[in-house]
Amino acid sequence: MVNKMNILNVNEGNTTSVGLPEPKIKARKVNVYYGENHALKDIDLNINPNEVTALIGPSGCGKSTFLRCLNRMNDTIDTCRVEGNIFLDNQNINDKKIDVVQLRARIGMVFQKPNPFPKSIYDNIAYGPRIHGIANNKSELDEIVLSSLKKAGLWNEVHDRLDASGTSLSGGQQQRLCIARTIAIEPEVILMDEPCSALDPIATAIIEELIEDLKNRYAIVIVTHSMQQAARISQRTAFFHLGKLMEVGDTATIFTNPTHEKTKDYITGRYG
Amino acid sequence: MTDTSQHNQPVSRVDWNSEKQAARLKKRYIKEKIFKSVAILSLGTAIATLLVVLISIFSTGISGFTETHITLDIHIDENIVGDVDNLSQEELETHIASININRMLVSSLQEKFPEVTRRADVFALLRLFSVGAQTDIREAILEDLTIVGTTVPISLKAGSDVDMLLKGNISRKVAESDRKISDQQIIWVDQFLSEGLVTQNFNWAFFTSGDSREPELAGISSATVGSFLTLLVTFMISFPIGVGSAIYLEEFAPKNRLTDIIEININNLAAVPSIIFGLLGLAIFINFMNLPRSAPLVGGLTLALMTLPTIIITARAAIKAVPPSIKEAAIGLGASHMQTVFHHVLPLSMPGILTGSIIGMAQALGETAPLLMIGMVAFIVDTPAGITEAATALPVQVYLWADSPERGFLEKTSAAIMILLAFLILMNGLAIWLRQKFEKKW
Repeated sequence: MVNKMNILNVNEGNTTSVGLPEPKIKARKVNVYYGENHALKDIDLNINPNEVTALIGPSGCGKSTFLRCLNRMNDTIDTCRVEGNIFLDNQNINDKKIDVVQLRARIGMVFQKPNPFPKSIYDNIAYGPRIHGIANNKSELDEIVLSSLKKAGLWNEVHDRLDASGTSLSGGQQQRLCIARTIAIEPEVILMDEPCSALDPIATAIIEELIEDLKNRYAIVIVTHSMQQAARISQRTAFFHLGKLMEVGDTATIFTNPTHEKTKDYITGRYG
Repeated sequence: MTDTSQHNQPVSRVDWNSEKQAARLKKRYIKEKIFKSVAILSLGTAIATLLVVLISIFSTGISGFTETHITLDIHIDENIVGDVDNLSQEELETHIASININRMLVSSLQEKFPEVTRRADVFALLRLFSVGAQTDIREAILEDLTIVGTTVPISLKAGSDVDMLLKGNISRKVAESDRKISDQQIIWVDQFLSEGLVTQNFNWAFFTSGDSREPELAGISSATVGSFLTLLVTFMISFPIGVGSAIYLEEFAPKNRLTDIIEININNLAAVPSIIFGLLGLAIFINFMNLPRSAPLVGGLTLALMTLPTIIITARAAIKAVPPSIKEAAIGLGASHMQTVFHHVLPLSMPGILTGSIIGMAQALGETAPLLMIGMVAFIVDTPAGITEAATALPVQVYLWADSPERGFLEKTSAAIMILLAFLILMNGLAIWLRQKFEKKW
């Protein structure tokens, strides 16, 4: 029932039913083209605050493309064209008047491969606050670095070597450093593009715990290939297939009682 | 299920133990051996050629760094020197420069060789010494005024012919008419030698003096400074423009037909013969813009045109080599495109850019042809003080000396080449050091 409500909700667009929180992000009729290739078709999707939304689907289904629409990372690809509206707090981010740099500060992103800057751990985290003028002085900056590292669960491991290069850390630590770097500029939404695909199971478990914790403060959208991961950490799951959003709903419902045959095939491993 | 299907597959068509396979294997080994030996042979040829070049340059050039001195008792005639008691240092220097040192030298020589009376013989005797011998006497007087009126032994610079004789570059065996130094002169030299008055020491003047018509006085100072000033102009012009173009083309320029054409033409420019750039420099900088001829400014501008394509191409390659993940990380954090480029891409590509630039500079340092076109082939004695003064450059100096008939310039040519090679090795070494020091892992 809840599931149906949700689908209804998405399809009807702007209306939200009573009792549900106002979505942080509302995507309406999003179409993406790479040159001639129609990569995303009429996507309608809501991202709720304080929730983890998982995007699942077979490779090439468009889930990463959709994720990159949310902070307009697709702008950096010359051949990519995005149509439709994406509202962040009722503000259309595809509007020409929106400053994309500020938007990306509000919507942080963690990438598939850990990509710390080849600078010190401190500078990795301080970079964002510096370019956005968030800290007024050195002690404020120190405070931001400390709290970001603590929130990302990395403080205990690196507090005595903040001068060490970010690239000298292990893969899992690097990814947490990237998360710390993202939350240092206090975004409202965090996008994660398969953040654990390059990590071993132990590092993955740590990151998942971290995501669980972060969800209390941010809206999180995560692309994952691991069905178990989606089931473990997300509250809502969206299933993409061939550029279409096939189904979206409570994670529990999607995994136990999917409406679509394709969804069922995919999550049971029969397809994709 | 796959397991069973594998068992049902037909037996392999290849029998690895057959004679046919053994022959194939043998053939392959032979081919590999031939390729290996050809490669080693070509490498050996390259190294041998390099060694021949280096050895011939070094064996000829190493003697260019030494000079011959003959110690002679000089009577510092107070009548020639005149009254020097109440002169300031500056006046003294002007005065000493004007007195007739030659007479002092001739009379001292006649004292040593009283049997020499014929005018021609006196001149032959005098020619054992360099024109620079007069400078040696002047400096001795300036250093210690108390020697005026006394007879003191002074180490005098020998003439180039004596120098060549002692270094074995002029053979005593050839007929007198075939060598520049006469039998009588050789006898005098041998007398000096037997008295232990001849010394050979390191030729510091080679590094501190400019060009000269006399091989024993010629030095590379003006050419080195000229090269330095020229390269300075080249670097100041080509580095910012080259790196700027590379950043724009690689990061900001739209990819369309126009930028494609620009890219192709930059690559073509790198292959244009350098003399063409010389003609261009002559036409634009000298004939059109009326900049001074023979000046490092014009040389630098011309070489900058030549170096630009190299710097642009290497800088673009270095910028392209920065992993996109770093750029994405910066953009994802809300850095603008320009911030991303200047905070991350440029620092990360700097080692590569610097390496390319230094190699371009080294190329420019060794370039001769364009400098000939813009008149930097002049005979320059004075060390240039600025970029608009007439100057010459190291490779041009090599060219000039190689063209001179005097035997003494042969070793100077090789010595100058050694200096040029040393600078090139230094610059390439710097490039390697920079690359290793600043190369970061990501």
